[in-house]
Amino acid sequence: MSLGIYLTGAFGQSQELYRVRNEAKRGRGSSEAVEEQIKKDTPFVLEKQKEAGVSFLSDPLLSQYYLFQPFVEHVNNVSVGSQENWFNNNVFFRKPEIPASAHRNTSLVTSKSFTGDYHCGKSDVAILPSPFTLLMLSDCSGFGDQEKAINKLSWLLRNEAELLVREGYSRIQYDEPALVYMQSLGSLKSEHIDLLGRGLDICGQISGATTVLHTYFGDAGPLLSDLILLPVDAIGVDCTETRIDDIITHSFAGKELVLGLVDARSTALENPVELVAALHTVEERCQPKGLYLTPNTGTEYRGWTHGLRKLELLAETKRVFDHG
Amino acid sequence: MVERLFPTYEVGSLPKLSARMKAFQGKELLDTDVREFEAVAARTHFSSGNVLELLRRPGIDGEKLTTIEKDFVSNFNALLYLKLQEHCGLDFVYDGEAKRSEMYRHVAKDVAGFEDLPEMLRSRGPDSWKSSVCVNEPTLKEGTLAGLVVDEFKQVKTYASHSLKVPLDDPYMIAVMSDNRYFMEKLRSVHAGDPKKLRYEAKRELVLALARDVIRPQVEALASLGAQWIQLDAPAATLDLEHIPILVEGLNECVRGTSGVKFSVHFCYPRRVSLMEKSGYELLFPHVLQLDSRIDHFSLELANADDYKPDLAVFRQYADQRKFEIGVGVVDITLEKQLKGEIETVEIVRRRITEAATALGDEKLVYVAPDCGLRQLSLERSVRIYDLVVEGAELARKG
Repeated sequence: MSLGIYLTGAFGQSQELYRVRNEAKRGRGSSEAVEEQIKKDTPFVLEKQKEAGVSFLSDPLLSQYYLFQPFVEHVNNVSVGSQENWFNNNVFFRKPEIPASAHRNTSLVTSKSFTGDYHCGKSDVAILPSPFTLLMLSDCSGFGDQEKAINKLSWLLRNEAELLVREGYSRIQYDEPALVYMQSLGSLKSEHIDLLGRGLDICGQISGATTVLHTYFGDAGPLLSDLILLPVDAIGVDCTETRIDDIITHSFAGKELVLGLVDARSTALENPVELVAALHTVEERCQPKGLYLTPNTGTEYRGWTHGLRKLELLAETKRVFDHG
Repeated sequence: MVERLFPTYEVGSLPKLSARMKAFQGKELLDTDVREFEAVAARTHFSSGNVLELLRRPGIDGEKLTTIEKDFVSNFNALLYLKLQEHCGLDFVYDGEAKRSEMYRHVAKDVAGFEDLPEMLRSRGPDSWKSSVCVNEPTLKEGTLAGLVVDEFKQVKTYASHSLKVPLDDPYMIAVMSDNRYFMEKLRSVHAGDPKKLRYEAKRELVLALARDVIRPQVEALASLGAQWIQLDAPAATLDLEHIPILVEGLNECVRGTSGVKFSVHFCYPRRVSLMEKSGYELLFPHVLQLDSRIDHFSLELANADDYKPDLAVFRQYADQRKFEIGVGVVDITLEKQLKGEIETVEIVRRRITEAATALGDEKLVYVAPDCGLRQLSLERSVRIYDLVVEGAELARKG
């Protein structure tokens, strides 16, 4: 089996992007200058991904501050709520306030920059929030109950995913940190898994695309037997939180497995030989339909330079894996 | 110390004078920079003429400020802010952290064993911050204590006519804002195969090392100089919900062996979306009951959520076990509010103070403050916030 590699989230900003962004924030620069810099940095990061031999190109999302931002800004009747920490990171998001009347028009709300000048066709991954994470981190109290809410959110996501496929994306990644984070905290209940299943029944299968439920920031180990049954084509696991020993007790036949073995939140560089050993063990024991190595999450947490280093590490690990 | 009801204080930072920043960058001052400077100088009855001429010079003739001139300007800025807070009527004051870059960098730059990341990291919206990597045992670099707190405190103490409250970083905040590479590597083999345990123990070691060898030396220096109140800033207290015992242990390590000093902790933006049954300040309990008895006061961000009764309920719930004074945040300090041009009224501030007193069940526990430091706001708005705090407290005292 060949090993696939790709990036799975936002990339760190360059120092120059920080500079123009800071100037704009303080009223000494312009938003146009920020956009210009993003137009310079985005193709640079994409080119680096191509050089690394990634299986799928991933928009560095340099204009996006948090996962829900496109939805908050572009879905009608959705408003922005309080500022909250993005899990256990010194990064913040705005809590979406989603009423039952939320709806979208026909235009794409995700990844505007990518679908513009840089979209490269069939080999691109688009990142959307999983319906469960979106539900748990939003105010959906107007729906009355969570089932109604997740139905609505999942249909919004499905419509978005279908639009993305029409734009040429071949891989739809649903980011699912909340489920495994709650598992780690001990606050996850069986009805939460049911809610996720209900949502993915609606948006988990998208014609023309491979769908990924990408979990991170928590221990997926105790949930893997449930995750394998979900109607998605691939499961992503954060291996900085999940023990390899807990993964290899499961068969992934019929599903792709995405291993977040590279810690995006650490500047320490993993040893490619050790990564390959873990990958071979998982390949042998889990027999997945496809095997991918990624960072556990976006590399934005340690910045531009270390993001590029982690990308090089992915490439080096693939070389070792493919050529022994 | 102040005896009246609802004493007022500032939490920490003020935005630096824009004229100072421009002069340091060699840029020409705009009318708005001059007006900002003159407004604060007028409020404090300072003569601005000579300093303003100095600040204008780099932008006019290109002659950069010397290191001595920059130090003079920084000292002037600190003194100006001390007097600004006093003229606004705050009961406990400091210097608006005018000589510090920002809270994390101010300390991280002086930690041996830390290396800076090459770029600024995004945090919230367009805001960014400079992070460091812990690559060795963290200790204070030799000779840095003076620049960190000693010189600053001596100046403030010399000129202050109100009581002082000195802000310091708490070690937990420094730890969670840094990449803990050293202790993760050190303990990796000990906790092989248990990533959760590894992260917990590595963070605990980093926090305790920072408390012992970086923060406590500052605490001891301040105590020896006569500081009576030290505020430890813990904005990241609830970031890792399973790690709050480490926060408490670190705070206790900071104050160990110190006498004659009152300690408070500033908490802000607790995880209100926690994905557990508890949320907000509830998350701190019962752990904070284990805090050293010298730490008897919490400064809380509350206005941003404007949900005083539920936010404060937990403090009353545990009051039979331990009572903490509460510095009630009564003005929202988020940049979004400023961008919208919105600000509280005195009546809203009065109402919030009253609500807090009712929720806590003891008005003597209530101090009044902004939600947090003000460095990201305009100076004009910051002064207005001080006025609101003082006027709101005055109104609340009248009942």
